Amino acid sequence: MSRWRRILFNRFVLVPGAIALAVAFWNIYVATHNHGLVIGRVIDPAGRPVADATVALWVFNFTTYEEKERVRTDADGVFRFTNNPSHKIQLSAEKPGVGRSPRIPVFLYFRAQDTTLDSPLRLADAG
Amino acid sequence: MQRYPRWPIHMALMLAGFVMLVPFYWVLKTSVSGENIYAYPPSIVPAGVNPFYYVDVWYAIPFARYFLNSVAVSLIAVAGNVVFNAMAGYALSHGFRGKNVVLLLFLSCMMVPFQATIIPAYLITGQLGLLDSWLGLALPQCSTIVCIFVFKASFDAVPRSLIDAARIDGLSEWRIIWHIMMPLAKSAIATNVILAFIWSWNNFLWPLIMTRSADMQTLPLGLARFLSYQEDTTGALYAFCIMVLAPSLLLFLLAQKEFIRGLASGATKG
Repeated sequence: MSRWRRILFNRFVLVPGAIALAVAFWNIYVATHNHGLVIGRVIDPAGRPVADATVALWVFNFTTYEEKERVRTDADGVFRFTNNPSHKIQLSAEKPGVGRSPRIPVFLYFRAQDTTLDSPLRLADAG
Repeated sequence: MQRYPRWPIHMALMLAGFVMLVPFYWVLKTSVSGENIYAYPPSIVPAGVNPFYYVDVWYAIPFARYFLNSVAVSLIAVAGNVVFNAMAGYALSHGFRGKNVVLLLFLSCMMVPFQATIIPAYLITGQLGLLDSWLGLALPQCSTIVCIFVFKASFDAVPRSLIDAARIDGLSEWRIIWHIMMPLAKSAIATNVILAFIWSWNNFLWPLIMTRSADMQTLPLGLARFLSYQEDTTGALYAFCIMVLAPSLLLFLLAQKEFIRGLASGATKG
């Protein structure tokens, strides 16, 4: 028993073991949170939700960002992308007559990470 | 006997340690902040710390594959070093005809740089059919002369009477090496493991010459590849450096006690 304890409970086993365990947990977390969901809101300059605004998803493609998909916001100003493939994206929103938002960079911890934006996309008056 | 105060020595050592650690700190700081390294005045504390440069590196190149290649090659090199160097060290710790010539040959070979022998090494590896393979990548590093001398110094310190007693008990030379000498040479083993691992892990030229497919590249080659096609790489480049450095640092920190003891024994008895 003491021989096994000596073999197992030393720094050469415990440190790599702890790292392997952390990697395993991280991979489980990634596997259960990589559906490509990106959820957020669009508001107007006054802070009211904007319905029917167009939101564009820009995906980092090696050296530049290219537009991948567009969706429209619902009545509460909420938009939802369901198949973002990347870890490095940008989002922009616009609605004719209301304004457009600047492109907001969003960095994710892994590809296709499900995420809900903390702050909404704010449309600024184009004029 | 007059005793001198030790604090000046400690201060000098701390200063030297600080000077050596500053570049590492700077690499780490830039890897989590992406700050311009030429910014003036330089900021000591990083602003806007984030791990996203590491994520960029992970996805910009097949990092997992390169990491696997580096680990596999380093493990083969480490195993080769421990086995072959122990055998050579054991032989050299005994007297035999021509021993001095062999020692002289080893010492002279240390003066020949690897770059000078890379073409024969390539041809031999090719003849063995090991180009573009893990074993081929590790082959020239499976034994190093410095590490042979580390084993030799360690084995020289073992009393001859112990080896004679083992022989009288009927042990073969193989079993004397593995059952008597090796358990007494833990520091030498640790030194071999660490040096072989670090040399193999950081090796750039040999993998560059002998790998043909992108899948067989190791991390140093990945770093060069990463540099060749990424723009605006300050943060990601430094993150890559940290990711390449981390395993060697971890190994050294884990085995530093044995490593220093092994080197010290080689220095005093070799």
